[in-house]
Amino acid sequence: MTTSLSLSRRTLFRGAGAALVAGGLGACAPGGSTGNKSLPSSSVTKPPSGEITIWDRTGDLYKVFDKAIASFTAKYPQVKVHHVAVDINAKLPATLISGAGVPDGAFYDDALLTGVAPHLYDLSQLIEQYKSDIAPYKLGVVTVDGKVVAVPWDLDPGLLFYREDVVTQAGVDPAGLTTYDALLGAARTVREKFPKAQPIHLENDQFLAQLWIDMFANQQGGAMVGADGKLTIDSDPYRKALTWLDTVRSEQLGTLAKYTQPTDLQTQDNGTQVFVPWAQWFVFAPQQLLKASKGKWRATALPAWQPGGARAGVMGGSSFVIPAKAKNPELAWRLYEHLVFSKAGYTAVYGPNDVYPGGLNTSIPSYLPALDPNTPLFKPIDAFGGQDLWKVAVEAGKQVPGGYMIPTWWGKAGDYFGVNVQKLLAGQMSPDDVLKTSASQIQKNLMGPS
Amino acid sequence: MATTRRSAQRVRRRRVPVAPYLFVAPFVLVFAGFSAYPIFFALQLSFTNWHGAGALEIIGFANYRYLLTSPDFWQSMATSGVLWLLVVPAQVLVALTIAVALRKAKFRGVFSAALIAPFVTPLVAMAQVWIILFDKDFGAVNQGLSSIGLPAIGWLTTSAGAKVTVALLVLWRTTGYAVILLMAGLSTIPSDVYEAATIDGAGAWHQFWSITVPLVTRTLSFVVVIGTLTVFQLFAEPYVVTGGGPFNATRTAGLYLYKHITNSDLGLGAANSMLLVVMVLALSLASIRLLRSREDS
Repeated sequence: MTTSLSLSRRTLFRGAGAALVAGGLGACAPGGSTGNKSLPSSSVTKPPSGEITIWDRTGDLYKVFDKAIASFTAKYPQVKVHHVAVDINAKLPATLISGAGVPDGAFYDDALLTGVAPHLYDLSQLIEQYKSDIAPYKLGVVTVDGKVVAVPWDLDPGLLFYREDVVTQAGVDPAGLTTYDALLGAARTVREKFPKAQPIHLENDQFLAQLWIDMFANQQGGAMVGADGKLTIDSDPYRKALTWLDTVRSEQLGTLAKYTQPTDLQTQDNGTQVFVPWAQWFVFAPQQLLKASKGKWRATALPAWQPGGARAGVMGGSSFVIPAKAKNPELAWRLYEHLVFSKAGYTAVYGPNDVYPGGLNTSIPSYLPALDPNTPLFKPIDAFGGQDLWKVAVEAGKQVPGGYMIPTWWGKAGDYFGVNVQKLLAGQMSPDDVLKTSASQIQKNLMGPS
Repeated sequence: MATTRRSAQRVRRRRVPVAPYLFVAPFVLVFAGFSAYPIFFALQLSFTNWHGAGALEIIGFANYRYLLTSPDFWQSMATSGVLWLLVVPAQVLVALTIAVALRKAKFRGVFSAALIAPFVTPLVAMAQVWIILFDKDFGAVNQGLSSIGLPAIGWLTTSAGAKVTVALLVLWRTTGYAVILLMAGLSTIPSDVYEAATIDGAGAWHQFWSITVPLVTRTLSFVVVIGTLTVFQLFAEPYVVTGGGPFNATRTAGLYLYKHITNSDLGLGAANSMLLVVMVLALSLASIRLLRSREDS
């Protein structure tokens, strides 16, 4: 007796077709535009209570923030923070797009910030009261289309790291390394003394190379785009930096290696790589990765591109974002306000912890009141022979030129500019070729016709 | 009256029992929700300029036009093509040789476990080992080459070297799996065929070429298709070992597709995935046809 439990084929397929069409129509309505909802100051006046989920990058920083978050929950016991370690660069963009499992707040690289800006809260009103106390460079980086889309966290000034023992044996005075020409001269001197030396680090990772050269450009007041949004990569700051790197390469004065990869670590340890102009976070390597050269590294300000020029630039940095689809954005703001703008908070972040017993020393705060040279947030570093890096980094941080803009396509440019820099360092392209080709590729593929 | 009975019979013939459909409903629903719908949505997305926020902006075939005229897209396809040439024929050859060698071996279970071990080893850990092994200045591979008087090779620093390094990792990881498949295929060949050939005076090589290869062709086709899919979807190996470099030389089709997603170019990514489906399908069918023609002949 099948008739009572039967349907005609036509009915069955019609139903299936309708379901598919409904599904298709559903597909026409992806998540709505966020358009940078503003998180107003009035929404955070209530005493904080509730639960938030916070994403932090896996590894050392997760542990650092885990301890610092405890200082917030001690202050506000009614708040429960679910602190999660995540591969943020891989997961956050997709999560922001899908809208599923969105955290209330997340740590994120400044260089990639503009790419996800439409999915974030506009924090302009909340940041207003702190604006004058934020390093100008950092304020520029977290401002997208006139809106502050992240809580600015750290500043990563570039410094010149060098092997003090090798430099001394070669008869080079570190105090004289005031220009990049002087650094070139010092590299030649070191190689005369130690023929196997290839003293200057040359970065061979396309993403890091781009970040690195942007530090050199930032030092000279340059950036990939100008204030009007026009492409400015084919310009003197970049040309000067690439020409210098090309000289290092052609005279075989450089070690071509990827940051912290085997060649990099081995040559730093065996003393053939001596000079590393890099962000402050290079300090991680002598403390955690290098063995034979531990204690032999020192840091000083970056050389200038011309006598008397700026001796600071920024390489990298991170901030905290509050997604527009966060369930509890007000609480996330309260947490970040505590960590970044309160003495108790930033002292907890940069203070001693299990990973950095002397305090977090891979960056400095971008909040200027925290940058007192006489009130160090982290201790002198044994891996640097007890050098007080705080003073050196704070001095550099305060000199970083402002007015820097990160275009929305910065992360994508690595496929063009980053790759062309790799080719330059392999002797396959000239500085002019790199700049002209990169400008043309970026204009065509990332910016559209001008 | 007769007309009424005939129409009633027609209706009864057209009606179908519901029970079978109820039994397959769970699969159909899961398939519709997690396979058919995403494919339909991806196809729709491929005609839009969408970055994950706001309404879909229909732009027709612009994404396809961009990709088909983009040197980056073709470079990624060429990279996958080169890797296919480096991996698939070598994999088939090595896997078939090992499978034939193990056909009469003792302790086949132990060998099978050993062969499958690379496949189940965490890739990221192995990739790190690869980076250390193939480092230009301090890697064990170049140390070995220099010990026999050969020059060091830029395994991770030159376009050709990086492709070979990635191909070797893929081979190391997936060949064992292919061996297991081929061993299963070989076990279906009746032993009396070989006995008859031996009586007829056929040597080992002749038996291999005239009996083993033709009778295992279907399994070989399967191995080739799986290998093709693996290579064209290749992502993790180049991502961890080379980051797609140097000079984008190991940016495979899979890695290029991933770039669109992480760049929030979702419309472009969807179009890229559709093109990839068509190309992989064509390549797989061509491979099958080639092997089948040999089987038929």
